[in-house]
Amino acid sequence: MDSFWLILSSVIMTGTGAFVIPLLQSKMRARLHFVFVLLVALSTSIPAINVLFGAPIAFTLPGSVFYGEIPIRIDALSAWFMLIINLTCVNGALYGIGYMKPYQSERAKIAMHWVLFLIFQTSMLWVCMLQHSLAFLIAWEVMSLSSMFLVIFEHEKKETLRAGINYLVQMHIGVAFLTVAFLWVYFIEGSFDFAAIADFFKTNFNGWLFLLFFMGFGIKAGFIPLHSWLPHAHPAAPSHISGVMSGVIVKLGIYGIVRVALFLQSDWLIIGESLLVVSILTGVFGILNAAVHRDFKKMLAYCTIENIGIIGLGIGLYLIGVGFDNSLLMILGLSSALLHTLNHSLFKSLLFFSAGSIYQQTHTRDMEKLGGLISQMPQTAILFLIGSIAIGGLPPLNGFISEFILYKGFLNGIHTIGLTHATLMMLSLSGLVFIGGLSLLTFTRTFGTVFLGNPRQPLHHVPEEVSLSMRLPQYVIVAIMLSIGLFPEVYFSIVFRLIQSVLPAHQLIDVESFVASTKSIGLIGRYSFLFLMLIGGFYLLRNYLIRQRPIERKETWGCGYVAPNVQMQYTGKSFSKSLGKLMSFFVREKKKYIEIESVEIFPQTRNHSSHYVDFFEDTLLEKFTSGMLRFLNYFQFVQNGKVQMYIVYGLFFILLVFFGTLFNLL
Amino acid sequence: MLSLLLILLTSLFFMGIVVRTKSITSGRKGPGLLQPMKDVIRLWKKGAVYSRTTSFIFQLAPTVYFASIIMAILVVPFGQNKGFISFDGDFIFFAYVLALGKFFSIIGALDTGSSFEGMGASREALYSLLAEPAFFILMGSFALYTGHTSFYDIFTSLHFGSYISYALGVLATFVLIMIAMVENSRMPIDDPKTHLELTMVHEVMILDNSGFDLGLILYGTQLKFAMYGALIANFFIGSSLYYFSIPLFLFVQLAFAVLVGILESFSARFRMGNNPQFIFTLTSISILIFFGVLLIMGKFI
Repeated sequence: MDSFWLILSSVIMTGTGAFVIPLLQSKMRARLHFVFVLLVALSTSIPAINVLFGAPIAFTLPGSVFYGEIPIRIDALSAWFMLIINLTCVNGALYGIGYMKPYQSERAKIAMHWVLFLIFQTSMLWVCMLQHSLAFLIAWEVMSLSSMFLVIFEHEKKETLRAGINYLVQMHIGVAFLTVAFLWVYFIEGSFDFAAIADFFKTNFNGWLFLLFFMGFGIKAGFIPLHSWLPHAHPAAPSHISGVMSGVIVKLGIYGIVRVALFLQSDWLIIGESLLVVSILTGVFGILNAAVHRDFKKMLAYCTIENIGIIGLGIGLYLIGVGFDNSLLMILGLSSALLHTLNHSLFKSLLFFSAGSIYQQTHTRDMEKLGGLISQMPQTAILFLIGSIAIGGLPPLNGFISEFILYKGFLNGIHTIGLTHATLMMLSLSGLVFIGGLSLLTFTRTFGTVFLGNPRQPLHHVPEEVSLSMRLPQYVIVAIMLSIGLFPEVYFSIVFRLIQSVLPAHQLIDVESFVASTKSIGLIGRYSFLFLMLIGGFYLLRNYLIRQRPIERKETWGCGYVAPNVQMQYTGKSFSKSLGKLMSFFVREKKKYIEIESVEIFPQTRNHSSHYVDFFEDTLLEKFTSGMLRFLNYFQFVQNGKVQMYIVYGLFFILLVFFGTLFNLL
Repeated sequence: MLSLLLILLTSLFFMGIVVRTKSITSGRKGPGLLQPMKDVIRLWKKGAVYSRTTSFIFQLAPTVYFASIIMAILVVPFGQNKGFISFDGDFIFFAYVLALGKFFSIIGALDTGSSFEGMGASREALYSLLAEPAFFILMGSFALYTGHTSFYDIFTSLHFGSYISYALGVLATFVLIMIAMVENSRMPIDDPKTHLELTMVHEVMILDNSGFDLGLILYGTQLKFAMYGALIANFFIGSSLYYFSIPLFLFVQLAFAVLVGILESFSARFRMGNNPQFIFTLTSISILIFFGVLLIMGKFI
């Protein structure tokens, strides 16, 4: 029962925190909040680690007649996600101490912010633990609402408020799908317990219910075309919040999908194939948009969509593996999805944190206004560079590990199954390669534009390196990322254990066939280390050889032009322009300008502006919502602002209920 | 390790042969075979000029680029000899290690703040991303054909049986040669001898590099050529014995170098706008190879 009290204490601590934090001085709030986050993290991580290396924990909370008992189960899957949540939240809270310092004077807002952060963390943890539909939905809703309020911290900005409302609406569309799905299960099976979902799948066609769940969780995760909240909410939120949101809240959508996928009883193939196709499109779409947008936090948000695609590929591969009874595909698929979940939460929060440091120092999110920051913020530059290398899936860092496992899965899938699936696997493989290449372009562009070259515009004040409390969590993340990159077999064996313990009994794993692939994953760590040594060795040798050579400092070679200025540097936009042109059917550019008429002898000054629009948001959602708005306008007379009318409505309703019951109509 | 030694050996001559071939076809005598290597060695002895704009990235980048090529070479096998590094899926490691080198060479170019070098970097990133799927589909097809996923296993168990497989071998060689040309920024994609910065790709990226670093980059290119030559040679060597395989390896490298020279002498560079189409063609040829393999495996029923 120890773990029961530990888990329950997370709620108690959140409650205490919510009371104590607002009472303190502004200065102390952030620190105390960090202590509370750490305590909640500890109290839930201890049971989670026990579960990961031992047996699952389960207990029930007493419930009422209506909703029955509430089961709380922590299996290895929940534990894995809980640990990721705690890690990211602790880092986020630590980073937030420094990041929120400039806002200290706004006392009420700051207190609200930290209390909400605590609630946000606890609700996410409980989402992973509750296995009762209604309780789950409540935790899910608390999570969505608290994160919405965290997003609109700077609510005096119109744009931020809009992003917040957009997020709120979209989350509720997701909740609607989830509610319908859970109710369907309840009406067929008569139970709110998650175990009922498996019973449902045993007797009915699996596709439709899975689709409902996928829509509900997919909005959170950001699969296309359900992704459109991400590119608005992430840039609007304070950076430690975007880091946590992109790092974990999006992953809870993945948690939901994996959870439901484990319950499936048949029709794995069709679901797996569809998921694979949606995921490739999600990945390519996300990274293509990331490559063209100039707001660097928006770029990171699109990049999150890309990584969700990569995780989705893993889940799709797992489902196809189940369909063919191929245990190698199952393990490779699921382990790459779970490892990439961890990896992405690490490097994405690192990137959002360093992006936040840039924003704090320069007050702009537009990369075209920056440049040359490496000389003023060298540590942030190196941290961002490490994040970029990791997210591009390049060795020797962690992103490569999960992508490598996925590649192995596809290569294995190509020659174990028939024509259709071999082609599908080849398609996914080349999609993944394409995504990798695009992310190389995206991140060289962002890093190059923001940190390298010369400053493109004068800034209000000279940027300087951010405080230690902001850098420290980033170094922690880098250390963990390196440990995954260099000792992948340790993490892989944890994930392997996890998979063995959560797979349903009928999906037996052939462990023997699997030892060989574990070995090659361990080898990658050794070779990555060798690679690092090689780079280091060559660099030392180079420096030794050139130590006495004459070195001069001159201007950049301008090809003979003698008066270059900083405006002439290559911009981020021009860097990705040729890609944008090539893919113009997918990434649409909208331009606003007035053409010069031939009769205009002395042309007036005029403006030219261009920006990229989201294909799905612009063509699909915009048309739908504007059509709906036009239709609903016809009912505007109902809301006419006259109190008398509203009283009549109330009266009418009461009469309706009265007569309805009187004549047994209701 | 044998492959490393052989590749190092051929890299000394490779560019010399290319230059010599180009000279002969244009009716000149041309410099000695070792001239490109002598240039590199002279650069290694020189001092350097750095732009005031640049940071430590600019000085680190050539080293990472060079180290990535050496690391990739360690993966390449030679006939029956495994490469220094060999495991299931090593060709993925190979491609991604090279990608890290490319990452650094791109940010190294951007570090100078020059618009020309940014332009070259942008093109390099675009072309190499378009060429990657071709290589992976090619290797994936051979993984399907042989049932293995490492360079060594694929090359040693590759056996040409039917007419279709010969056709596949020819197509694969073509794709590999073209990928080598794209990756090294050579002729149909990029002209290293052009004198206008606006039309260069790789050359314009290294405008500001000088001295030791420039030498590293130039020698890296030669190594890269020899590395792709070794990959092509491995197609033909199979598991034959040394007295046969080493001369064959050298012959394939020679033929590859002469071919590059001839290609550069008799073809013009494409217009920049046409390059993506051309590179996409490589991917479609790779897909053709994939379908050929499916045909051989009898999966079309």
